[in-house]
Amino acid sequence: MGNILELKDVELIYHSPQSETHALEKLSFQVENGEFVSIVGPSGCGKTTLLSLIAGILKPTSGKITISGKHISADASQTGYMFQRDNLFEWLNIWKNVTLGLGFKKRFTNENKDYANNLLNKYGLKDFKSHYPSQLSGGMRQRVALIRTLSLRPKLLLLDEPFSALDYQTRLAVQDDVHAIIKNEQKTAILVTHDIGEAIALSSKIIVLTSRPATVKNIINLDFDKNLTPFERRKNIKFNEYFNQIWSELDS
Amino acid sequence: MKNRNLNYSSAHKKYLRGLKLKTFSVHLVRILLLFVVLGLWELCATTQLIDPFISSSPSRIINQIKILAGNGALWHHSSVTLYETVLAFSISTLVGTIVAILLYAVPFIRKVLEPYLIVLNSLPKIALGPLIIVWMGTGTKAIVAMGILICIVITTISMLNGYLSVDKEKILLLKTMGASKLQILFKLILPATFSDFISILKINVGMSWVGTVMGEYLTSKAGLGYLIVYGGQVFKLDLVMAAIVVLCILAGLMYAIIASLELIVNSKRNK
Ligand SMILES: Nc1ncnc2c1ncn2[C@@H]1O[C@H](COP(=O)(O)OP(=O)(O)O)[C@@H](O)[C@H]1O
Ligand SMILES: [Mg+2]
Repeated sequence: MGNILELKDVELIYHSPQSETHALEKLSFQVENGEFVSIVGPSGCGKTTLLSLIAGILKPTSGKITISGKHISADASQTGYMFQRDNLFEWLNIWKNVTLGLGFKKRFTNENKDYANNLLNKYGLKDFKSHYPSQLSGGMRQRVALIRTLSLRPKLLLLDEPFSALDYQTRLAVQDDVHAIIKNEQKTAILVTHDIGEAIALSSKIIVLTSRPATVKNIINLDFDKNLTPFERRKNIKFNEYFNQIWSELDS
Repeated sequence: MKNRNLNYSSAHKKYLRGLKLKTFSVHLVRILLLFVVLGLWELCATTQLIDPFISSSPSRIINQIKILAGNGALWHHSSVTLYETVLAFSISTLVGTIVAILLYAVPFIRKVLEPYLIVLNSLPKIALGPLIIVWMGTGTKAIVAMGILICIVITTISMLNGYLSVDKEKILLLKTMGASKLQILFKLILPATFSDFISILKINVGMSWVGTVMGEYLTSKAGLGYLIVYGGQVFKLDLVMAAIVVLCILAGLMYAIIASLELIVNSKRNK
């Protein structure tokens, strides 16, 4: 299918008056179209930094990042970013939240509005369009955040620990939801997490990073039956094998 | 509303009744307190326990207000001060907010001006009174300038702090969506700081009255501040008290207008 994303020898140094922080070093990997890639690594190793680079919010100190063969520029709407917190605007209703991004760059076309509307209908938010975020549960809010991201039709979804603010039960349910939505809409996604179980449950490939400065330690391709939901994967025997493997990777 | 009420459990109905009773008693005691204080004041004055010439009394104040209303002075002096206050309030809120937006948008200027803002903020503005009179003359302009001076620095500082405390992640989110700086301002920064804006409006209601009355103390030919100064000089304490009562009423009304504006906008937002 071809690579949608390529990183080659990416390095990033943060500068502050007190010190410099070497966050990423010689980091290289590829993501193929349609893949669901998880990036795991110890806390503070540079995962968020990595996503910011791919989103074009940060520029690498050195190295090359390309999306579909093109250098990323800051205004490229090729990536959709989803944060740990849903960041919904409390003063806007759900419909206005979801279509917020369409207002920028003159994307407020009927076609785009229909698309956003369909997503809301399809994923259980049909009756909540005129509700306000405070009236929704944490799981629903995160679904709204995902649809807000999808409504701009990014080629690549970047998810920065989007489940870690949810309680455990909600988290499992929302993982199933998000996974189903992303598969359904045939999106390529990169999920950053420090939760090994979450990575195994959701992805087709896991990239393990070293501690700071982060570089790729290992890449593990997961081999599960295609039709398993994340929740079903957790009950599969392979789940524990992968878990132990990645656990020891991170440990050493 | 009514049918929903029927579905409540009796315990909840009891709770609601208790709640109603509590708010009712707060209102009741509030009004009683006013009447008791006024009544005692009046009693002490009529029994000559205190000297009404110095302490005035509610009935004398009401009479004074009636006289002022009768000869048109009430309207004349109130409208002068009200005009100055509304002008000072509007200009300082508007300009202060715009300056805050500029300082927010250009970090370099913000950092350069930071110490000056702090000094200006802690400076007692009344100290500038003589300068204002020399520069602006002794008319309305000087009084409005005093009002503006008092409100504008605090407006700028409060709004700037509000803008700076807007969630950085939300700004990042809009950037990843391709929003321009202007779009970030109008879609996020201003709506997110709406409650800060309402607070500063409420603060400015009080401050602009302080500023204009202070200005009138310095230099004026009319206005409620003028009446107060004049009343003090000729020892007509009834006049001083009457002017203060009218000031209270006007300031309260202005505050009520802002508070209802807040209610209207909030109900539009959360419909
Ligand atoms: N803006 C910044 N300036 C300086 N250092 C930073 C900045 N952002 C992150 N860092 C540092 O870079 C390292 C990686 O951060 P981050 O990418 O947020 O890690 P992770 O998401 O894996 O927890 C951390 O040590 C962090 O302190
Ligand atoms: Mg992080």
